[in-house]
Amino acid sequence: MVLPFCLKKGMASLNLLESERTQMNLNGIQKSILDGERGQAPQKAMELIVRYAGVLGAERLCRVSWADLFCGAHHYLDVAGSDDFDRVFSTMSLCTTQTAELKQMDRGCICYSGVEVDCTEVPEKMLVGPDRQTKNLAMLSRFVNSGVVLSGSCVPYLLGFVPLAGEHFVSCESSAVLFLNSLWGACGNGDGIEASFCAAVCGYTPLWGRHLPENRKATHVVEIQSRPESIHDWDVLGHTVGMRLPPMAVPVITGGYSRPDAIRLKAFFASLACAAGTEMCHLEGITPEAATIQQALGDNPDQACIPVSTVDVAESVEALNGHDRQPIDYISLGCPHYHIDEIRRIAAFLDGRRIHPDTLVHVWTAGPFKYMADRCGYTRSIENAGAHLLTGSCPSTRGYPAGMRTAAYDAAKQRMSAAQETDARLFYGSVEQCLQTAISGIWEGH
Amino acid sequence: MEPIVIRGRGALGGVAEGPALISRRTITGWGGVDVHTGKVKEPGHPLEGMSLKGGILIMEGSRGSNGWSIFFHAAQVSGFGPAALVFPHLDSRTAVAAAVLNIPTVTDLESDPFGVINVGDRVRVDGDQGLITVIRVLRISEIGEGEDCV
Repeated sequence: MVLPFCLKKGMASLNLLESERTQMNLNGIQKSILDGERGQAPQKAMELIVRYAGVLGAERLCRVSWADLFCGAHHYLDVAGSDDFDRVFSTMSLCTTQTAELKQMDRGCICYSGVEVDCTEVPEKMLVGPDRQTKNLAMLSRFVNSGVVLSGSCVPYLLGFVPLAGEHFVSCESSAVLFLNSLWGACGNGDGIEASFCAAVCGYTPLWGRHLPENRKATHVVEIQSRPESIHDWDVLGHTVGMRLPPMAVPVITGGYSRPDAIRLKAFFASLACAAGTEMCHLEGITPEAATIQQALGDNPDQACIPVSTVDVAESVEALNGHDRQPIDYISLGCPHYHIDEIRRIAAFLDGRRIHPDTLVHVWTAGPFKYMADRCGYTRSIENAGAHLLTGSCPSTRGYPAGMRTAAYDAAKQRMSAAQETDARLFYGSVEQCLQTAISGIWEGH
Repeated sequence: MEPIVIRGRGALGGVAEGPALISRRTITGWGGVDVHTGKVKEPGHPLEGMSLKGGILIMEGSRGSNGWSIFFHAAQVSGFGPAALVFPHLDSRTAVAAAVLNIPTVTDLESDPFGVINVGDRVRVDGDQGLITVIRVLRISEIGEGEDCV
């Protein structure tokens, strides 16, 4: 029987049809935005949000008060074939063939810019090139004028992006969605870049998925038997768990491990989100909606445990790093962007040492942490060793050094993304292994 | 022979027909598609090297980056978008992709498409009725002979 599910008939037009808006339960403000009373850009944004809600089968929208966006002249925007900001923004973010002027993000929504196209520390070595950087800065200027804060980072939750429990947010950063849902109890879905922009412009997103309490309950129980301790252990574990979960799963993690801190969970959530697209993950006794497994499961039936053994974790490492000892051309550390304590540890290791002259080392963080690192002398220790402490970007958005044949990472997320981005041979290990490699110039990992 | 019909929910209306681009394994979110050619570029993916253009994209769901939809969207703006989408169940990323591409989309399927539809089979997606129909099964001799998804 199909017809009861068939909510919409004859909708193939690019524009929003009457049938799409009448099936939605919109309030007066939402209708007025859809009618264009707040301007053309909010109207087009609301049209996309209503169509998105229709696809989901959502009947209502919810108010979004935090938006972590993906601003700047990212390479995929080139397909719009224009240098006009409003033309590009309308085509690629508002998803309309009309050109709507972006004047102001929704005034009730705090907006962050997200990871940028390139870093600002080495302007003479901008990989994106001067033309793109000029275009990028012009685009960022328009976003600033519309009310967006230039956060320049994939860890907004460490930089004042603080939706509280029950508050609705959007984020273009998959690991941030997982972190904010799981650890803080805020409510957000993975969505996508276009829907996040539209939510920020019109102030609403579909009330669906993790925005509803019943969809935040665990669907799978995962028992960790590998006793993770280090940040690297948790980073690998995210990959191992992720490869065992179906799409849309909400796992609850249990096991006899030491209590992880936020930095370990930052790494775990990043690799888990990348491997599986997971939007929410409970940890028994640690995350606020999982004091017990039963609380995490709620009304969902008891699930069979998915065990994760030491052998399983070793298989992840093998899958991410199957190469022998070789000279390493490039090492990228800091995915997601490092917390200041991670920078402190790297500075302590590199203090008084020297990076191998044939190995380029980038250490990525967020601007406010770079400011702290400068004040603490960490930047000096890192730079004196020959490495570079950079902010705002990463190889996935910035690109890779020319002629790179081998690259090493301390993050499974970066390693997985790189497979699509470069033909270089890729290596993965702990930050200690990567730093030892930086000194010797030869892979010192597994 | 009775045509294979799979029923589901029409998430976006309209009717489209084309060769099946089917893989239970989803395409990774960030960089899995070349936005200038519409070709799948994820190393080792069953659809690697095939173009999305005009195809019926059938996958289990999304995986990886929240930038999942933008790569399919950018390929569409380049002129290499798929003709229709089929997902056994929706997640937020696949739903955004459907809304953005605004092409016939069927979801909440009543049976598993992965065992009965093969890459290159001619498939019709009716987003109004929520129906997926395999209208012509690709014969072995036709594989590699100019199906426009390859």
